[in-house]
Amino acid sequence: MLATISSSTLSGVDGHPVSVEVHVADGLPGFSIVGLPDASCREARDRVRAAIVSSGAIWPLKRITVNLAPGGVPKIGAGLDLPIALGVLTASGQLPSLDDGIGAFGELGLDGSVRSVPGAVSLADAATGRWVLVPAGDAAVAALVAGDRVRAVRTLADVAAALVDGLPWPDGEPPSPTGDPAPPPDLADVRGQPAARVALEYAAAGGHHLLLVGPPGAGKTMLARRLPGLLPDLSAADALEVTRVHSASGLALPSGGLVDRPPFRAPHHSASMAALVGGGAGHARPGEVSRATCGVLFLDELGEFAPSVLDALRQPLEEGVVRVARAHSTSEQPARVLLVAAMNPCPCGMGGDVGCRCPSSARARYARRVSGPLLDRLDLMVHLDRPAAADVLGPPAESTAQVADRVAAIRSLAQERGVRCNAELDGSTLDAHAPLEPAARTILEQALSSGEVSGRGIRRIRCVARTIRDLDDAGPSLRATDVHAAIQLRARPPIGGAHAA
Amino acid sequence: MRPDHLAVTVLASLEGMGPVRLAAVLDTAAPVEALAQIRSGRSEARLPAGLLAAWQAEARRLDDRVVAASLARSGISVSRPGDPEHPDALGADIDPAPVLFRRGRCFSEGEPRVAIVGTRRCTSVGRDVARDLGFGLAAAGVVVVSGLAFGVDGAAHEGALRADGAPPLAFVGGGVDVVYPARHRELWDALAQSGTIASEAPPGAAPARWRFPARNRLIAAMADLVVVVESRAAGGSMLTVDQAIRRDRQVMAVPGSVRNPAAAGTNALLADGCAPVTSTDDVLLALGMSGASRQWPSSAPSRTVPAHLQLVFDTIGEGPTSLDRIVAASQATTVDVLAAVGELAGRGLIVDDGGKVRRA
Repeated sequence: MLATISSSTLSGVDGHPVSVEVHVADGLPGFSIVGLPDASCREARDRVRAAIVSSGAIWPLKRITVNLAPGGVPKIGAGLDLPIALGVLTASGQLPSLDDGIGAFGELGLDGSVRSVPGAVSLADAATGRWVLVPAGDAAVAALVAGDRVRAVRTLADVAAALVDGLPWPDGEPPSPTGDPAPPPDLADVRGQPAARVALEYAAAGGHHLLLVGPPGAGKTMLARRLPGLLPDLSAADALEVTRVHSASGLALPSGGLVDRPPFRAPHHSASMAALVGGGAGHARPGEVSRATCGVLFLDELGEFAPSVLDALRQPLEEGVVRVARAHSTSEQPARVLLVAAMNPCPCGMGGDVGCRCPSSARARYARRVSGPLLDRLDLMVHLDRPAAADVLGPPAESTAQVADRVAAIRSLAQERGVRCNAELDGSTLDAHAPLEPAARTILEQALSSGEVSGRGIRRIRCVARTIRDLDDAGPSLRATDVHAAIQLRARPPIGGAHAA
Repeated sequence: MRPDHLAVTVLASLEGMGPVRLAAVLDTAAPVEALAQIRSGRSEARLPAGLLAAWQAEARRLDDRVVAASLARSGISVSRPGDPEHPDALGADIDPAPVLFRRGRCFSEGEPRVAIVGTRRCTSVGRDVARDLGFGLAAAGVVVVSGLAFGVDGAAHEGALRADGAPPLAFVGGGVDVVYPARHRELWDALAQSGTIASEAPPGAAPARWRFPARNRLIAAMADLVVVVESRAAGGSMLTVDQAIRRDRQVMAVPGSVRNPAAAGTNALLADGCAPVTSTDDVLLALGMSGASRQWPSSAPSRTVPAHLQLVFDTIGEGPTSLDRIVAASQATTVDVLAAVGELAGRGLIVDDGGKVRRA
């Protein structure tokens, strides 16, 4: 007897359809799996046998061959346990065979329980069939893409009960553990720091990458953590994309299943290239830059990251996607992040203030760790000082809610221009929506001819100037003052101060 | 090449041979004989046990012709006290240099010489002051003497070179062919081209720490007047000051902020009665020359500040001032301040200084 169950496997953040063919024939009893299974997939043999026996079904003492088609796609993880078990039961006549097929994924326990697997959104999307059977814990997220085809199962016995005895399918469960986010910290806690507050607002409103430079304790991390709170809720499409990436990389999801707030990812500075941009042996896992897509990627202590790792960010920052190539496959993963980086001005942190203890060679070396091409992509740069006592003890400043209202207004202006945020304005949209007044044009021409700014820099300055004008009076063209302010905010090598040679 | 110059070069190249021991060895015999004695394992000078044997082995290994060829190849000249090209000020000094190696021009006699010294870790203001002083003094025909180090020294030389006046003079700690610090290679080459780099250390000698105090004594001995631009309370520049006082040279100091630890030493000098330097003219007057010096071009207030930027420009003051402080002091909105600062920077009236801004 032959049975075919539809399932899927994960590659990067995408699901690939896999057809699980189970053949049960006379012969010496045996069980073999063919079709590029990885180690955890091959172990399915033992889990499936134990789960079937534990569920009270009969393990057929026949020759069982499982083929995972297409043969060329590597099969990752334990998600194929459930379809293999269903195939064995169907092929041995213990379950009815459905006309328009059945899709399934899930990991089996030895007691027959069905466990959640990473990437439920993408897996459910790729599986076909009248019903898609998913682990109960994954039902909520799978329903985001597979709708009412999703049937939750807690144990292998549930399937038999529903298909043979006609009992109702069990209910789904909220994903566990739930990643319900703590309410983000409020911007009102930040006292003083007017330049940094303005830069943070521009970054949120226009989607401009931000570099914060300042001594330890100046409030760089504090500011960066308040940035996601300023961003509007994710659109439906973005929310699904973020949920797909988070599910594929095994991150905790909120109890509703859908990630609807911009994510905030802050990888440690020891992160490897695979951790940051994605990859790893064999299966290309999403990196932090993908996990932060549609949200904020915060690189604290930018100067401590390996320079090669930072330079790998250049392409995703420009294109909004990461392409991870591996011997077997290439996967494209979303990476539309708002980059916020923080660094000390020098190794000792005092950065040229009179207490600085760094020799100038150490300062120069520290500044060189952030390459020019990466700096060129950072549109906003502010230097922070430790706040003055009067500010720290003074009245609270504007709250997150007040600033977020302005940010939402600017973002909707950008959407009227056909882009998500002003930082995406380019070429013709830039000319149409950010024309330069003559004085502003002269300033940019001077900056370009003096060699201070690259061609890309000019485009980015215009995008920032557009955001500045939007937040002022949203007039149609860019004034000289907007361009002056945008140039002043632009990142430049963080060297200078007391003893630059 | 003169045989005594060659012999003294070989002697100076011996491991552990500093100016004091070289002078002691040369006290007992003329250079050629002294070298011959060491090569045969004898010396009348009092030396630590074992050193003579080590020197004997090393001196026998060194080939005179190779040493002479390498000196000629790198364009290094040698001078000894009594030679016409040896500076009189060093020949007649209380701690005379037994030998000097030199790249670039001959030591010039007759022109006044001023040492500009200070900390390597100076503030941007200190660097500008050193550069302006170097420029003004060189333009007025004063030889600027310094040490080619980071910070004040390098800035003084940079200014002096730019003036295209009297050729500057540098005394360095290592060999005159060993660029240190490496980032000063351009400045080093420019100085070897249009000024003089001199050292007691033989060519190829690493700039070891113990050589610098001896180098500072040469700067003090060579100068008619020593100007300290910025120095910490216990900085190396204070050694130069001590050496200058031993030789009865006038010491002047540039006043600094009381909050600036890099100016603690100079302010202490002022409290002890040194004359203050507020402009190049102060130094020229102390030398008995007339004032009215040429100024470093960019510090001349050539461009006027447009009226709408005046408030922010005044708030910046001498700087460096952070954006946050400008916002707080000017009562303007942050974005207006950003635009004004951007325009001032675009007009070249202010410059970025490690995240703060100051007047250009």
